[in-house]
Amino acid sequence: MEEQDPTGNYIRNIHFKESSPSQADLDRLRSRIWNDIAETETKKGWWNRPYYLIAASVSLLVVSAGIAWWSMRPSHLRTAYGEIRTITLDDGSHVTLNANSEITIGKDLADNAVREVWLEGEAYFDIAKRNGAKFIVHTPEAQVEVLGTEFNVNARRQNTRVVLHEGKVKLHAAHAPAVVMKPGDMAIVSERKQPIRLRPVRTELYDSWKESTIVLDGKPVGEITEMLLDNYGIRVSFADTAFLSKKLEGKLSLQSTDDFVTNLATILDLEIEKDGNSYLFR
Amino acid sequence: MVRDRLTSQENLLLWDEFRSGDPEAFSRIYELFSADLYRYGYNLVRNKQLVEDCLHELFLHIYNSRQRIGPTDNIRFYMYRALRRRLTDALVRLKKLDSQAYIFESAEFLVESYETELVEQQTLDHQRQIVIAELNRLPKRQREILYLVFMKGLTYSQAAEVMNITMKSVYNTIHVALSALRTSVAERFDREWVFINVTIVALMGYLAALY
Repeated sequence: MEEQDPTGNYIRNIHFKESSPSQADLDRLRSRIWNDIAETETKKGWWNRPYYLIAASVSLLVVSAGIAWWSMRPSHLRTAYGEIRTITLDDGSHVTLNANSEITIGKDLADNAVREVWLEGEAYFDIAKRNGAKFIVHTPEAQVEVLGTEFNVNARRQNTRVVLHEGKVKLHAAHAPAVVMKPGDMAIVSERKQPIRLRPVRTELYDSWKESTIVLDGKPVGEITEMLLDNYGIRVSFADTAFLSKKLEGKLSLQSTDDFVTNLATILDLEIEKDGNSYLFR
Repeated sequence: MVRDRLTSQENLLLWDEFRSGDPEAFSRIYELFSADLYRYGYNLVRNKQLVEDCLHELFLHIYNSRQRIGPTDNIRFYMYRALRRRLTDALVRLKKLDSQAYIFESAEFLVESYETELVEQQTLDHQRQIVIAELNRLPKRQREILYLVFMKGLTYSQAAEVMNITMKSVYNTIHVALSALRTSVAERFDREWVFINVTIVALMGYLAALY
C-alpha cells in the first residue's frame, strides 16, 4: 500500500542496527535442538503404544511417590569413613562427595537465581548450566562462585583448596581479594589473613579419589597419611619421622585400604604393626 | 524496513504443516526465523549465551506442544512474543528484579541509515542524520516499538502484545516519541526546521496509516 508513498521510501532508508549470529552459532543451536528432539522422540514411541499405558500409570505412581520422598529427603548428606557417594542435585548438577565429608544443599536449587551449598570435607562438582544462574560453594574459609563447570573443593585442616578442571570460577574469601581461576589452576585459601595462593597443577593429582585411586607423583608421605586420616580414619605413624617428607611416584588403588597400607609399606620397604585403625611403620 | 518474505497465507500454511507434525516444516521454520529471532533477542539482551538458551528452549517447546498450539498467520509475531517472554522470565530469575523498567537495561535498538544508492542532495542526507540521531535518543521502549513496527513489519497491536503492554500505551508512546522528536529537532536546527517538520508530519501520518 505504501509502495508509491515517498514517505514510505524515506522511512525505508532508515533501519535498525542489528548483530547477526554467525552460521556456526545457528548450526550449533540447531544441533542442540535436534538432539533434544531425537531424545524426546525415543521416549515418545513408548507413549503411543496402548499396552504401555498400564506400565505408564504404574510408573507415574512410583514417580510421584518418589517425588514425595525426594521433597522430604534431607537436604543434608554426610559420608562415613571410606564412603564415596555421587548425588544429582535438583538443578542437574552432579556432586561426588569424598569420604568423611558433609554437604548441605540450599533450597529450590532448580529455580533459584543463586544456587548454594555448604561443604565441609571434600567434593568434586560438575555444575549444570542454568540460564546463567550462579552456583556458590561455601566452605569455612571461602566461597567458590561458578556459572557451570567442573572443579574439586577440599575444605579440611583450616584450608580450602580448589582445583579447577573446566570452565571458570571466582573465589571469594573473607580476608583476601577475590581471584578468578582458569582451568588447571589450584587455589588455596587459608584461615589466616593471607592472600589466596594460585598456581597451575595437574588436576588428576587432586581428583583421582573419585575413581578410588591416588596419584602419588611427587606427593610427600606426610600428605598421604593426612589423607588416610581425613578420608578413612586410619592413623599411620612412623618410627622414623624422616619418612614423612619422602616423595613417592606412581598410582595406587584405594579400593581396599588394607591393601593400600600394605602396598605403601612395600614401597617404603618397612614393616607394619597394626593396632585397630592405627598402623606403625618401622 | 523489511517485510516478511512470506505472505500471511504462506505463514498460515507453513504453521499448519508444522502443527500436523511435518518435520520438514519445523526445519523450514528454523531456517527462516532463527537468525531473525537471534537478532531481536540480542537487541534485547546483550548476552549470546542467554539468547541461545532461550531460543533452544523455545524451539523445543513449540515442537513438543505442536499439536496443542493454535494457528497463526504471522509466525514471526508468534515467535517474537514467546521469545521476549522467555527472556523476561530468565532475566527475572537471574536478577531477582520484578520491575519491567530494569529488565532490558542493555537493550539497544539503534537506528542507522542505509548507504543510499544515489548520492542525492547532500542536504537530505544531512537532515536524515539529524532525525536518526534524535530517534536514537528516544527511550528504549519507544525505540523497540519503532523497531518492531518498521523493521519487522508487525502491526501496532502485535507490537503491543509482544511487549506485553496495552495498545493505548503504544499509541501514547509513539505520540510522545514523535512530539519529543519534533521539539528537539526544531531546537537544534532552526533553519532546517521547515523541511524536517514536513518530514516528521509525514512520518506521523505514515504511522497513523499503519493502525
